[in-house]
Amino acid sequence: MKQQDLDNILQKAADLQVFCDYGQRTLPILDEISSLMREISPAIEDLKAVVEVAIVNIPRAANQLDRVKQATSQASHDILNTLDRMVVTLDEVLTGVSSGMITKELDTQTKKMSAVVKMLVEKSGWDADIVQLAEAWESHLQSLKMSGPTNNLERLLKDLQSDCTEIMMALQVEDITQQHIGAVMGTIEAVAEGLRKITMGFFDTGEPQELSIDLPLPVSPEMVGEQERKKMVESLLDKARAGEL
Amino acid sequence: MTAMKILIVDDSITIRRIISTALKTVGYSETIEASNGKDALAKLANGNVDFIITDWNMPEMNGLDFIKEVRSNPIYSSLPILMVTTRGTEHDVIEALQAKVNSYIVKPFTPQELKEKIESILKSVPVNTP
Repeated sequence: MKQQDLDNILQKAADLQVFCDYGQRTLPILDEISSLMREISPAIEDLKAVVEVAIVNIPRAANQLDRVKQATSQASHDILNTLDRMVVTLDEVLTGVSSGMITKELDTQTKKMSAVVKMLVEKSGWDADIVQLAEAWESHLQSLKMSGPTNNLERLLKDLQSDCTEIMMALQVEDITQQHIGAVMGTIEAVAEGLRKITMGFFDTGEPQELSIDLPLPVSPEMVGEQERKKMVESLLDKARAGEL
Repeated sequence: MTAMKILIVDDSITIRRIISTALKTVGYSETIEASNGKDALAKLANGNVDFIITDWNMPEMNGLDFIKEVRSNPIYSSLPILMVTTRGTEHDVIEALQAKVNSYIVKPFTPQELKEKIESILKSVPVNTP
C-alpha cells in the first residue's frame, strides 16, 4: 500500500470521526425537532381545518352582506317611491287649499247655513227652541274659528311636505351604509384570499406555491364625526380659495 | 325655479333621486342623471349642461377621473363642478381640489347646504353653457 493510499484512508477515517462527532451533537436536536413536530402536528391540522372553514365561510358572509346591501337598497327605493307619491298628493291638495277651493266651499256652506238659521229665528217669532238652536250654531262657528282647521291647513300641508323631504334626505344613510358594507366586504374577501394563498403554500403537498400575499384593502368612508369632517372640508376649501393649497 | 341644467353623477339611484329632490326643493328643477363618469361624459357631450354634481366612488369611471377628463377639455374647463361624496379625509379633499373641483360636500347633506354650495360656486364661476 502506498503512502498516498494510506493518507487517503486516514483522511476518510478522520472525516468519519468528524461526522460521528457531528451526529452525536445533532442527534438530540433532531430528536427534539421530531418531538416538536409530533406535538405541533395536531395543532397544524387544527389550524388547517380552521382555515378551510374560514375559506368557505368568509365568502358566505360576504354574500350575506351583499344581500343586506340589496335589500336595503330596495327598501330605500320603495320608501322614495312612496314619498314621491305623498309629495305629489300633498302638492295637489296644497294647490287646492292655496287657491281657496276648500275654504271657499266651506265658507259658502257656512254662510248658507247661517242664513237659514237666521231666517228660522225670524220666522219662528223668536221661538225659544229656535233661538237656542241659533245660539248653538253660533257657538259651533266660534269653536270652528278658534280651532282654525282651514286657516292652518296650508301650513300643515307645507310642514308635511317638508317632513317628506327630510325623510328623503335621511335616506342618504343608505348610500353611506352601502359604502361601509362594501369596504367590509372587500376587506373580508381580501382576508379570505390571503388565507387561501397561505393554505396553498403551507398545507398542500403538491407543487410549491408562491407566497405573495397582497391585500388591496378597499377605501372605507371615514368614521369621524360629521361636524368635524365638514369643518375640515370648509377649512381646506378656504385655503384653496386663498391659493394656500 | 332656476333654468339651469344640472348633471347629477352617482352610481346610487337613491342618491340621484335624493339630490334631484333636494335641488327641486331649493329651486333647481332641471336635472339630468348619469350613473358613472363614462355615462356622464356622454350626457355632457349632448350639450346644455350648466353645472355638475358628482360622486367619487363609482364603477367604470370614478368621479375624480371624470373631473380630470372634463377639465382636460377646453370646452368644459370652467364648467362648475361640485363633488358630493362620503370620502372625507383631508387627503381626499386635497386630491379633489387638485383635480380642479369647485367645491366639495361630504354626505350626508341638507338641501340648504346644497343650495349654499351651488350659490357660492356660481358667485365665483359664472355659468358658461358649452
